[in-house]
Amino acid sequence: MRIAIDTGGTFTDVVFLDRGQLRILKVSSTPQNPEHAIGNALRALAVAPTRATGRAPDSAPSGDRDPSPLELLCGTTVGTNALLERRGGRVTLVTTAGFEDVLAIGRQARPRLYDFFVERPEPLVPSRRRLGLRERVGSQGEVLLRPSPGELDRVTRLVRRSGAEAVAVCLLFSFANSAHERAIAGKLRALKIPVSVSHEILPEFREFERTATTVVNAYLVPVMSRYLGSIVGEVSASAFGGGTGSRQKSAKVAPRVHIMQSNGGVVSATLAAREPVRTILSGPAGGILGARYVARLSGFDRIITFDMGGTSTDVALIDGEARTSHEASVAGLPVAVPVLDIHTVGAGGGSIARFDLAGALRVGPESAGADPGPICYGRGELPTVTDAQLLLGRIATEGFLGGKFPLDEARTRQFTARALLAAKGAIRSVEAFAQGIVEVANATMEKAIRVISVERGYDPADYTLVAFGGAGGLHACELAAALGVRRVLLPKFPGALSALGILRADWVKEFSQTVRLTGYSPTKTQEELRRAFLVLERRGKAEMATEGFSGAQIKIARLLDCRYVGQGYDLEVPATEKFAAAFHRAHQLRYGYADPKRAVEIVSIRARFTGVTPKIGLPRGSMAPPSARGAIDAERKVFCAGRRLSTPFYERAKLRPGNRFAGPAVIVEYGATTYLPSGWSAAVDAYENILFTPGRNVRSSARSK
Amino acid sequence: MSFDPTRLEIFKNLYHSVAEEMGAALRRSAFSPNIKERRDYSCAVFDASGRVLAMGDHMPVHLGSMPMSVAAALGALELGPGDIAILNDPYAGGTHLPDLTMVMPVYVRGAQRPVFYISSRAHHADVGGTQAGSMGPAREIFEEGIRVPPVKLCIGGGMVRDVLALLLANVRTPAEREGDLTAQIASCRTGERRLLEILSRYGLREAQSYGRHLLDYSERMMRATLRGIPAGRYRGEDFLDDDGYGSAPLRIAVEITISGGTARVDFSGSAPQCAGSVNAVAAITESAVFYVFRCLVNEQVPATAGLMRPIRVIAPLGTIVNARPPAAVAGGNVETSQRIVDALLRALARAIPRRIPAASQGTMNNFTFGGNDPRRGGASGGAAFAYYETIAGGMGARPGRDGLSGIHSHMTNSLNTPVEVLEHAFPVRVLRYGLRPRSGGKGRWRGGDGIVREIEMLADVQVSLLCDRRKIPPYGLTGGEPGMRGKNELQRAGRSMPLPGKCAFRAQPGDVVKIQSPGGGGWGKKRRGTPK
Repeated sequence: MRIAIDTGGTFTDVVFLDRGQLRILKVSSTPQNPEHAIGNALRALAVAPTRATGRAPDSAPSGDRDPSPLELLCGTTVGTNALLERRGGRVTLVTTAGFEDVLAIGRQARPRLYDFFVERPEPLVPSRRRLGLRERVGSQGEVLLRPSPGELDRVTRLVRRSGAEAVAVCLLFSFANSAHERAIAGKLRALKIPVSVSHEILPEFREFERTATTVVNAYLVPVMSRYLGSIVGEVSASAFGGGTGSRQKSAKVAPRVHIMQSNGGVVSATLAAREPVRTILSGPAGGILGARYVARLSGFDRIITFDMGGTSTDVALIDGEARTSHEASVAGLPVAVPVLDIHTVGAGGGSIARFDLAGALRVGPESAGADPGPICYGRGELPTVTDAQLLLGRIATEGFLGGKFPLDEARTRQFTARALLAAKGAIRSVEAFAQGIVEVANATMEKAIRVISVERGYDPADYTLVAFGGAGGLHACELAAALGVRRVLLPKFPGALSALGILRADWVKEFSQTVRLTGYSPTKTQEELRRAFLVLERRGKAEMATEGFSGAQIKIARLLDCRYVGQGYDLEVPATEKFAAAFHRAHQLRYGYADPKRAVEIVSIRARFTGVTPKIGLPRGSMAPPSARGAIDAERKVFCAGRRLSTPFYERAKLRPGNRFAGPAVIVEYGATTYLPSGWSAAVDAYENILFTPGRNVRSSARSK
Repeated sequence: MSFDPTRLEIFKNLYHSVAEEMGAALRRSAFSPNIKERRDYSCAVFDASGRVLAMGDHMPVHLGSMPMSVAAALGALELGPGDIAILNDPYAGGTHLPDLTMVMPVYVRGAQRPVFYISSRAHHADVGGTQAGSMGPAREIFEEGIRVPPVKLCIGGGMVRDVLALLLANVRTPAEREGDLTAQIASCRTGERRLLEILSRYGLREAQSYGRHLLDYSERMMRATLRGIPAGRYRGEDFLDDDGYGSAPLRIAVEITISGGTARVDFSGSAPQCAGSVNAVAAITESAVFYVFRCLVNEQVPATAGLMRPIRVIAPLGTIVNARPPAAVAGGNVETSQRIVDALLRALARAIPRRIPAASQGTMNNFTFGGNDPRRGGASGGAAFAYYETIAGGMGARPGRDGLSGIHSHMTNSLNTPVEVLEHAFPVRVLRYGLRPRSGGKGRWRGGDGIVREIEMLADVQVSLLCDRRKIPPYGLTGGEPGMRGKNELQRAGRSMPLPGKCAFRAQPGDVVKIQSPGGGGWGKKRRGTPK
């Protein structure tokens, strides 16, 4: 039985397949000990997997589960949180002597230009635990100074005395020759301290980024090991573990725990504990996979995902496949391992609106967060995007989060009117203010989407916007209009998309190597490439075998990072004989020019290994008649382009495949609200995803004044 | 003057994102480490009158000076659709010769005149002249490289091949220059495309009208900031070590008069222009003033021309803050600009002491080298190369916070070149790159530490150093101690020889250049018994 669990800030979502039916369970998260929520979920499932879902009227409660061994797939924020809160392990770093401070200097630039009081994150390892090893490798991998046995012993002694919980090793040019890193790592491993070695974590050039990534890994190893250990404990303690005299035959087979990585694939808990840096953006990665899967079912291959939450918004572009980036950073620290190319902006439903002292309306980056929260939640006093949506009538005051959480409209109006005084008459009504807040928030979202589309040579008009997260649906149509997007998809299970993505994730790991092949000659280069790939593939296959994959389950994609000789950034192209032509095309697309006469350099090679896992599918529903009247819950007044329009509120759970309706409309479901402006129409498809399309009159959100 | 606060915010973001997208395009397709790794460039958007509407968060030293490039290009040339002007002449809209600036008009269909302009500037690693890297000591601008008044590099979308050929014939690394110039052109086209999209969506009238609102908005922002400073006259001065040719310290004097939401910044009393290259043209002085006052604004505010409206800068002609031809100027941009900031901050510390940091390292430690790389180029004796870098140092302590260590401050924010890029690209070996312990000035809050960088030359190489704060240390404030002075050395055959702050020499294989950058000044008296 495969169970996917995505641990979020508020809820822990559980998705699993129960006799062919996809089930969802939400339990409250336990932020101090996230594994407890997992344990709670497993216990609930073990008792009555179907009843736990709360929406399976067709099946009787029963304990006889899918008898196959338990496979638990987890998305986790443990790594990200440990970085944000600086709760990682005590790390000692070994560098080439003379370069102990590379980690502290970074790229020598300050994060903000016009601020005398600017700060930058303290390095994760203080100078007293940054140790230099007397050794040196040159730029071609040649050994300039071999570390003597005495030197290796000296540094090993210092590491032991440093009281390290984990060690990071990063020596100059180790991507070209890893002998010295291997020599010192061998000694250090004898100390029984976990060792993270740069040529294993990220065998690529640029010493600061490689060092920082290796250090982040070492920093997270103790935290992640503890966490994964407790998950295994929770599993064993539940009925799934067989520890309580279970009825399950499957109990004899050890449960397998997998962890979602930032690159969109899962790996075993053992591997994740060794290389936790690969898991730090695992939640958003799950969301992207889920969105891609759901969109494909509905027939859309090219999508832009738009996940708007309370404090931040994640966007990503998927052109058939999700792309990976090597330039992510978390908590101000670079993390250069491949991650799905997700762009995050610090704006969401909780972003606070205000007038600055020269009269512009600002929204964010300050956020009301969970405490005090928006005005309408009862404690905040500053207007947020959520408050604006409420004032425009697009969020129902009752029925929010299943009705457990009434929103206070009178209070919202009162405090928003107070904030409006600062506009000194430039905005006349609370509703116009609210409209302005939504427009500025949309402009921020639009900018974020432009970064991942236009800036990279893709036209958003060719894509379908897939909206999820608590607030995604409230902004999606207006945002689409601004970007020229003609289709918006509201997936089923918007609240559990990430867990759904994790449930369907393959095992993925990428092996890379900087090669810097210039002086391109087809035969020589092909031969060198073949040999370099062979080395990577040997490593990859060995690792896949220990993870339990073999034969046809294994897929390998071979990729090259190329650039014109002399450039500083690479573009990824498939490793075929025609890679140079593919590179010129990619360069033209991305930068608007190409120069086929210039020599192309292969900077790094990448072998992306995929271990194909069994997939579950969502069932296709049978089509109902078009009328959606049965799903209308209420009619309310909603502001739309300055006018108050009577607007039906639909209950998502009552919408059936085949239903059609027109905007203005609001769709309410547990944990999310969606606004369909007038001029747009909606159609529920066979998978219960809802597709929104604009009418001919909807061109752009720009109004002439 | 009525505007919609929502629309104002939206246009602020739009124009800024044009400049940022231009910068991203330039960085990613450029060829020289100086642009692609160190990010020594700026991109900006201007209205039809050449007033700056937005600038990317790139290089502060370009802030106030790019509008002058646009003004110079417009004064000299009629720019038609698809034309791009290029210039670097410090006496005609430039700053120093390595900064090549492009100016492109943006036309809408049917318009007789451009409706916007865009500009992209990048520091090129060599533009000819006596010293490889074009940043060495010089007595006249003619020694510093090729001087380009505003000329057209593109006409109607096509490259003017003879102009390009003339440029490339005068530099040491023509292939790299051509690649970087192509990237700069691509960045201008990116900006043009983006602006046209905005115009088609919002309409020309709306876009231009919000351009004007944006200028007024920034002006209001600056006036409000100036009203927060007590009215009065505040004097400050600081000194450059020398001109590189044996001069006495060079004085920069400033008197800031704050009254009723305006500022008058008068540099009368500053030293006459000097024999070396630390002469700033007026554009640089304007940029330094722009930078300091922008930092005083507590909001994220767009770098528009409106910000400077309430500020009047007086820089007497013929001084090191407003040099006349044919003075050499390479160091005015990188060194004098920093000292102008130091003088301004010293004056402001008298007005608003709790908001002003002690002196930061006050130099960019410009380190340039070039020659022929024996590892490449085969029988021809090696491929020509030129490389330029600036080295970070200590930041001045702030009231309430220590200064940061090993970081660029004030007028630059260029990144370092990774060791693993540097040694791959050039015949050098980095022996050490680390913080310089205890170089920050003591005080209640400590100045940040400088950097130690040792580079061994593996070939015959021409080296130039252009550094300051080797004689006069960065000052502390309110009782804080000064930061440690910088230090340059040459190690040859086991012996170490001191090098002056500003010099040029030929290095042999095995020579090691060791540069120690200054620490930042401390802030406040160190209290007894309060261990830090």
